Amino acid sequence: MTRTDTAAPRLPARETGAPAPGPGPAGAPGTGAGPAAGSGGGGLNPAEPAVIAVRRVGARTVPVALEAGTFLRPRVMRRPGTALRVALAAVRAALCAGDDVRLRIDVGPGAELELVDPNGTVAYNARGGRAAWGASVRLAEGARMSWTEPSFVVSDGADVLREIDADLAEGAELLWREALVLGRTGERGGALLATTRVRLAGRELLAEDLDLRAPGLRGLPGVLGGARVVGQVGLFGRAPGGSADPDRLDLAGPGALWRWTGEHPYRSEAPLTRVWRAWGGHA
Amino acid sequence: MEGGTGALGALLLADARLPVGGHAHSATLEAALEAGMPAERIPDYIRARLATVARTEAAAAVAALRAARGEPVDFGPVQAALAARTPSAPLREASAALGRGLARLARRVAAGHPAVRALDTAGRAVPGLRVLRPVALGALGAAFGMTAEQTARASLYDDVQTVTAAALKLRPGDPLAAVDRLLAAAPRIEEVVREAAATATPHDIPACSAPLIDHWAGAHAHTTRRLFVA
Repeated sequence: MTRTDTAAPRLPARETGAPAPGPGPAGAPGTGAGPAAGSGGGGLNPAEPAVIAVRRVGARTVPVALEAGTFLRPRVMRRPGTALRVALAAVRAALCAGDDVRLRIDVGPGAELELVDPNGTVAYNARGGRAAWGASVRLAEGARMSWTEPSFVVSDGADVLREIDADLAEGAELLWREALVLGRTGERGGALLATTRVRLAGRELLAEDLDLRAPGLRGLPGVLGGARVVGQVGLFGRAPGGSADPDRLDLAGPGALWRWTGEHPYRSEAPLTRVWRAWGGHA
Repeated sequence: MEGGTGALGALLLADARLPVGGHAHSATLEAALEAGMPAERIPDYIRARLATVARTEAAAAVAALRAARGEPVDFGPVQAALAARTPSAPLREASAALGRGLARLARRVAAGHPAVRALDTAGRAVPGLRVLRPVALGALGAAFGMTAEQTARASLYDDVQTVTAAALKLRPGDPLAAVDRLLAAAPRIEEVVREAAATATPHDIPACSAPLIDHWAGAHAHTTRRLFVA
């Protein structure tokens, strides 16, 4: 039932952010083709993905496979209700230089998965190396999934690729929340490229490369300005109710993104939670 | 119109006097200034656009130009790819408004060209979304016999000049300074022209986002006091 269509999004060439015209310095770490997508490339160490596969039996959703990967271990949380809740526990510290954290999720027809990551992710100073965190999500017809990633912190000196690839069949619905944070307290943060690809019934619903690698580019007016936090809630497969708002992006297909940018991560909590709940997220 | 117009077509598409409605647009500059961006940062704003939205649009225009050589011509994949790379509804609407002006021009001057006859394929690709500006630009580029570089440069030049011209209305100053701003961006424009010209398929269109431009466009769509529609 798994699809193997894991073609990586084409990565943009790195913007150097240098004030001088012309091509960027060829010797800078990571300059050139951008971080390699997929395991094993670009100085990343081979790693096993964590696998979560669930299906519906009667009215309930049950696990088919819960496999620990090199970095993450899925654990079922006992809860009332028909949805299956799974939490991600850390197997070992990540993300350090060379780490390639992979998560593979498969939700069968009509099944309902609530995925929570209580810890979030911190990308540490890679000292010239790089790291990657990628999730591949497949929702079958009528499947529903909600997914919270509390914070993805990119420390000074980190160079990290965050990739999400979601493939939704007809009638599937994905509600997702994340907060990308550039730097720990007092830092400006390292390099982050966050790529998001969402397909619905085989058609591209959202394609986005949030390229926050070069401080000279991400600080420009129109990109992030002075902000160091991008918090977002995405609903894919259904257009949420409610009225237009400058922070709300209504996609061309059924779905929307609600995006908060600012300086302090804690300030994003309340507005993101409000939207998460309004769009059907659990408490 | 019979045959290609070559270099003249490229000049025509870059001419602000072309009656396609571009004068009503500021490339979100009005909203940026309204949100507090200082006028001194307009060159940085141009740079931000060239690295993100303008780059995406130029590549989409080239992808449309290439699609115009297909048999039959189908702009659907380019239109859909661009729609997926434009999460802001007000920005899609602004692009569709400009696309309508270009499509009207195309139907007047080159009604028989296969690319112009196929413009409807873009309008059918995404429910409720009319042909976007880069797609119409690519179709006109094909009808005018333009190269990929000419088409990408027309798209980028128009984007930068939309900002500089709007800046003169929003923060009146020396019109010669506006020319300076354009020329200062020339090396970066040419870099993006080269990159965009290599766009072979809709899948190759970059998807670099600019969260604050999206946010400003959303705020602008709901303000009543505005000079430009977008």
